[in-house]
Amino acid sequence: MAAAARDTGVGSRTESGRVRRFVEELGARVVDGARAARQFYSIVIRTFYYSFRGRGEKGAVWRAMYQIGNRSLFFLTAVMGFIGMIMVYHSCVQVNRITGDLHLVGATFLQIVVRDFAASIGAAMIATRVGAGIAAEIGSMVVTDQVDALRMCAAEPIDYLIVPRFKASVVMTTVLIVWSMAVMVVVGMLTAWGMFGVNPRIFWNTSMVDYRDLTMGLSKCVAFGAAIPIVSGYCGLTTFGGAEGVGWATTRAVVWSIFATILLNFVLSTVGFYVFWA
Amino acid sequence: MSVGVSAASSPAPVHRHVAARATERFVRRVGRGIISVSQQTGGILVLLFKILRRFFPPDIDYFELKRNLYKMGNRSLFIVVLTSVFVGAIMVVQASAYVQQFSAYAFVGWGAGFVILRELGPILIALMFSGRVGANNTAELGTMVVTEQIDGLRALAIDPISYLIVPRFLAMILMLFALTVYGDIVALLGAAGFGQLMLGIEVRVFFHGVTTLLGPWDLWIGLIKSAVFGLIIALSSCYYGLVVRGGAPGVGRAVNSSVVASAVGIFVSDYFLTFLID
Amino acid sequence: MIRFCGVCKSFGGKRVLDNVDLAIRRGEVFFLIGPSGVGKSVLIKHLIGLLRPDAGEIYLDEREISRLTERQYFDVRRRCGMVFQHSTLFDSLTCLENVALPIRKHRRLRRKAALAEALRRLEQVHMEEFAPVYPAALGDGMRKRVAIARTLTMEPEFVLFDEPTTGLDPISARRVDALIRELADRLKVTCVVVSHDLTSIFTVADRIAMLYQGRVRLLGTPDEFRASTDPVVRQFITGSAEGPIEV
Repeated sequence: MAAAARDTGVGSRTESGRVRRFVEELGARVVDGARAARQFYSIVIRTFYYSFRGRGEKGAVWRAMYQIGNRSLFFLTAVMGFIGMIMVYHSCVQVNRITGDLHLVGATFLQIVVRDFAASIGAAMIATRVGAGIAAEIGSMVVTDQVDALRMCAAEPIDYLIVPRFKASVVMTTVLIVWSMAVMVVVGMLTAWGMFGVNPRIFWNTSMVDYRDLTMGLSKCVAFGAAIPIVSGYCGLTTFGGAEGVGWATTRAVVWSIFATILLNFVLSTVGFYVFWA
Repeated sequence: MSVGVSAASSPAPVHRHVAARATERFVRRVGRGIISVSQQTGGILVLLFKILRRFFPPDIDYFELKRNLYKMGNRSLFIVVLTSVFVGAIMVVQASAYVQQFSAYAFVGWGAGFVILRELGPILIALMFSGRVGANNTAELGTMVVTEQIDGLRALAIDPISYLIVPRFLAMILMLFALTVYGDIVALLGAAGFGQLMLGIEVRVFFHGVTTLLGPWDLWIGLIKSAVFGLIIALSSCYYGLVVRGGAPGVGRAVNSSVVASAVGIFVSDYFLTFLID
Repeated sequence: MIRFCGVCKSFGGKRVLDNVDLAIRRGEVFFLIGPSGVGKSVLIKHLIGLLRPDAGEIYLDEREISRLTERQYFDVRRRCGMVFQHSTLFDSLTCLENVALPIRKHRRLRRKAALAEALRRLEQVHMEEFAPVYPAALGDGMRKRVAIARTLTMEPEFVLFDEPTTGLDPISARRVDALIRELADRLKVTCVVVSHDLTSIFTVADRIAMLYQGRVRLLGTPDEFRASTDPVVRQFITGSAEGPIEV
């Protein structure tokens, strides 16, 4: 963005000049990235700290929970329904192609929904709605100097802005994802029944779902619910560039929240695999 | 919206009043929502028509097209590669429990490849692209509208659609297509690498599973989807950029709307494409 | 010769232009003045089809131009250029590329030839050393001059200026005034300027029209304006806070 102001002098057209410029840009990016990472790390630590030792405004957590639920319920239900339908459709078609025996489709579907899919896809959707909302709210407070005003009143912005949303999100994300599990199962059941004639009672086969899958699923809910407000809050707090910068902050929040859920998913799945299944 | 005159009498009529007003408000909200959605859909379709008209005869600024291709590829390559690697790895981790249970090592390539090529690859890459490139495009166009640069183009007797919109539209579709191919490859490589690391499945076996059990049709479906997603993201980001009202905050709102609309469009079209193509 | 006949325009129920009648002669520097929001910019935007009147006719050299299609307006816009208030240079192109853009599009010159021509135009406005610089790095006055150069590439017979000196420091403002005068005297371009910069108005204008409450309040030379006893005109040209004008 500041490239226009940089001096693209005589050296930039020669070969060594081009190499030098490339290294400079790379170095600048690495330095920027390191600085951002350190800032982010600081926000994570402080969020956890203030969750336990903070001042806790009355009712803030409840209000945040209401907002999160309100924003995402309809969207989540619709999307998870679609996805459940698609997944069952794909599985049935492929299994038909290979073995023709559909009676385990419900069981495996249930297992993978509980263990991973509801959490990962649901979290991505929640990140799109809730994450964008948090970043937009905090971002517009930054550009209107309200966050600075907060600091003047000796109120720590992280305690006041991020922590209530953090607590609310951990709870609500879990609730919403459990709800999406239900939605996916119901829609999947109907799809299997309507399109492939699988009896719902056969579909609803919980024999393959055990404590390990439940632990994995729930831990992902909690982890994603924790990550989304912290990442979005970070993007909101680092807004710059006036009112238009708020739009940037929201998209950064969405992209990086989704990426954070993917990363956490990877970490948790790997750890879970070695703990439970290896 | 008058307060019930019968407030002094028995509670039942008051409750009915309140309920009636609440329903009225709800219906109004739904009505407004429906009108707003149809207005936006209509506007987007009109824009699509205007864009397509500039293809016959071809009225495209190639300089702008090249510039946009370069810019968009640059913006999103990093995050697409990063996301793809982790997605590939997650697929393997998820499949690993089943693989161990059924000793189906040869099927890991098939399972991971199937999901990556057909669904996860196109969808996640499209979402990341929308968050980076789509949002950037909306913000740029929106800022141009707010600073009268679009009017400036018209005053110079240059058609804004031909000069600005068509190159971006084409560039986004082409770029997303290329990025999906690239991301698919990276994801498969990531999955293969991880399969080797975690499960000791040789890379050769992994790719054998991919190539023998999957057909070119599986690849094509994913690529057709990415072309459609590219179309949706391009239309959405250009439309919301062009209809910005209300200065810089309007730009921020437009960015948010465009990302959400793209996400919804991606999921809805994925749903329809899945059933239509197979 | 530009003529407005009975032009009316409303925005959402509010009457902005109410039967405006105006004639502007060839080769003159014509100033359109009035309080903020009175509709000056709205009026001149009609000349290039960025707005359409609700009623009335507009003539550009005996051709009625208020009801043309967007495609037909391209002809009009080649003859009548506009310099916007915020310069509207394209941020992603250098100054040279900005000026070269209409040349590339309308004269079908190859890129190198277009850039050479663009450099010539920048020399006309004394901005040639800023050719490779991006607009964001320039001051407002300099951007304004590049925007004027860009408009001149189409060799228009008429140029509209929307508040060309608003927000500029006094020196840049006087330079822009001098440019406008030079355009009219040397290149015989008719300049229509929307402004409320009193210095510009009384140094450069040949004739002035004041808009007030949707109509032309007074039309005449600067001397006629200075001698006017109309309280609205007096309040405006003396720049006093007291008077009949409510802003």
